[in-house]
Amino acid sequence: MTAARSRKRSIFGQLTAASIVIAVLAVVVLFAVTTITVQRQTRASLAATVATDMAGLIDIYASGGREELLRRVADRQAVVSLETRRSHYLVADGSGRALGGDQRRWPQINAAQSEQGFITLADGTAVFAQGTRLSPDLQLLVAREYASDQAALMVLSAAFLGVGAAIIAGVALVAWITARHLARRMNAVNAALGAAADGRSASFPARQRGGDEIDEMAGHGTRLLARQAQLLKAYKQVSEHVAHEVRTPLMHLDHQLGAMMLQQPEPSGAHGGGPLALAREDIRGIATMLDSLLDIASAESRRGDLAGLAQIDLSQLLENLAELYEDSADEAGLMLETAIAPGITLLGERMQITRLVSNLLDNAIKYVPAGGHVRLSLVAGPRLVVEDDGPGIPRDQHERVFQRFARATVPGDKPGHGLGLALSRAIAERHGMLLRLGDVPRGAQFILEPAP
Amino acid sequence: MANRGARVMGNLNILYVEDDPRAADAVQALLCRDGDRLAWEQTGTAGLQRAGAEAFDVIILDRMLPDIDGLTIVSRLRGAGVGTPVLMLSALGRSENRIEGLEAGVDDYLAKPYEPQELVARVRALHRRSGGAVHGAVIIYGAFECHTKARTAFRAGKHIPLSPREFALFRYFMENAGETVTREMLLRDVWNMNFDPQTNVVDVNIGRLRRKLEDGFATPALETIWGAGYRLTRGE
Repeated sequence: MTAARSRKRSIFGQLTAASIVIAVLAVVVLFAVTTITVQRQTRASLAATVATDMAGLIDIYASGGREELLRRVADRQAVVSLETRRSHYLVADGSGRALGGDQRRWPQINAAQSEQGFITLADGTAVFAQGTRLSPDLQLLVAREYASDQAALMVLSAAFLGVGAAIIAGVALVAWITARHLARRMNAVNAALGAAADGRSASFPARQRGGDEIDEMAGHGTRLLARQAQLLKAYKQVSEHVAHEVRTPLMHLDHQLGAMMLQQPEPSGAHGGGPLALAREDIRGIATMLDSLLDIASAESRRGDLAGLAQIDLSQLLENLAELYEDSADEAGLMLETAIAPGITLLGERMQITRLVSNLLDNAIKYVPAGGHVRLSLVAGPRLVVEDDGPGIPRDQHERVFQRFARATVPGDKPGHGLGLALSRAIAERHGMLLRLGDVPRGAQFILEPAP
Repeated sequence: MANRGARVMGNLNILYVEDDPRAADAVQALLCRDGDRLAWEQTGTAGLQRAGAEAFDVIILDRMLPDIDGLTIVSRLRGAGVGTPVLMLSALGRSENRIEGLEAGVDDYLAKPYEPQELVARVRALHRRSGGAVHGAVIIYGAFECHTKARTAFRAGKHIPLSPREFALFRYFMENAGETVTREMLLRDVWNMNFDPQTNVVDVNIGRLRRKLEDGFATPALETIWGAGYRLTRGE
């Protein structure tokens, strides 16, 4: 997995990104609300100023008439105002011809309706203005520039953006540091769990000051490991004691039988030994069966456990086994053929894989009648196949033969405990492989390949 | 050039640590019959003390003892610099049990129940190996010659053509000339297998070698020791 992908999938990376997005959205929304509010306030303030001025001039016209109005408008323009908003006036007749004020042309504003709003004067100045018809042949325009309000808004916006950017950067930094810290702790917990799952030695990170959810999880992990170790120890103790308690009396019995045979040698029977020799064979059979059962349990308990596995040269291992079994096959009247691709390796336990393949070859040699063929092949994958042209195994028993004590009901069945294939499958699964029977028209085909 | 004419018989000084008196009696009777001296200790602690205090040729150690585990005893002995060869005798006979034993520093591992002759053969082989016998380019035993570098075999001066695996087997018998070689020793040392296959691969390979070694000769080359294994004769 690449670093970029792991960052993308990391919940901490996503949290950092989400924090930044939320901070950006918050700043943008706040900026928009503030700007709109300021603009509204500015408009209201402009409208109130213009309306007040207009009301004053209307009063003057009402009390002093047209000449008084022109004089007062001229006065107002002559006075240096302390207001930051510069004033503009126009007193015009009914057709819009200028009679007084600093403006010469009536703008696009309806005096009959006392309209007010943002307009641009003839000289290009942007103002907020109100026009009013004082009499059928007299109309008045009062306007205020608002450039200073816009400049103030720009300053406010710049300040807001600066502070907003700092907030976003701050949030991103805090989120990144926090996420990194949390990710490091989570990775340590993950690594410990991964090591435990692979059968490697694992230890969870120490508790932080105060303790939090990750500490709690690490604590549970530690307890889980301890419990797993305890169970494995108990399993090992039980299996060792069972083996010891069964094998010890068997050994005594075996020695007694051996001593009896020494005192009174028995003639060879039809199977190459008398009753005492056969009894001793049975004793060894029981010990072998017990070992096989424990080997199956051990392989099953270590399924997916990588501890003790190493890269082995599977091609070489098979070549050696084929060489060892060549004479046995020959002796049984069989032709052992091989097609082993060179240089194929496997992460595995050499002895276990040797045992697995030996079991398959043993089976073939036991069940294929003289004149038959046994073929051992290996291709990349790795895919190992042991096939023969013997009696085969009925399709409905393809899964059953891999169960403990299960034996295929085929003609010419040989004595045994029915544990070899169960052990082979358990070994395969311990290596992350699958051992199965292939569907072939003739004979048996055992396939070992990586589990899907 | 090494001549393996003399068989290593008894007179070994053996320490035997075993908590089961019946098993101890059987082993004691077996080894003392051949003239070995056997010092028996019933606990791991006593065995450990004795192994450190006296010199023994071989230590036979039970794995499951009431006080200290046999593997721990071996680790402590090796840690203390005691290099006496150890044969672990155990009721735990599975492949992984053997591997655990060998990793702990055990030199050989024999599972119960065992054939008495096999125990004797293993003790002898272990003692012989610990002697650090270095074989030269040619090993001679009776009428047999094994040229290890040229990888050729002769009996009474007659060249015997052997395949590489037959030569490896022959060489092992020559290196253990005159001694009983068990099936388990062959599987372990010649074929690197610590389990017994279900079929007769060992017997078949021995049979092939035997036929080649005896072809044209009136006397046997290999004899089967019932319940124990095989032994190379002098071939004369």
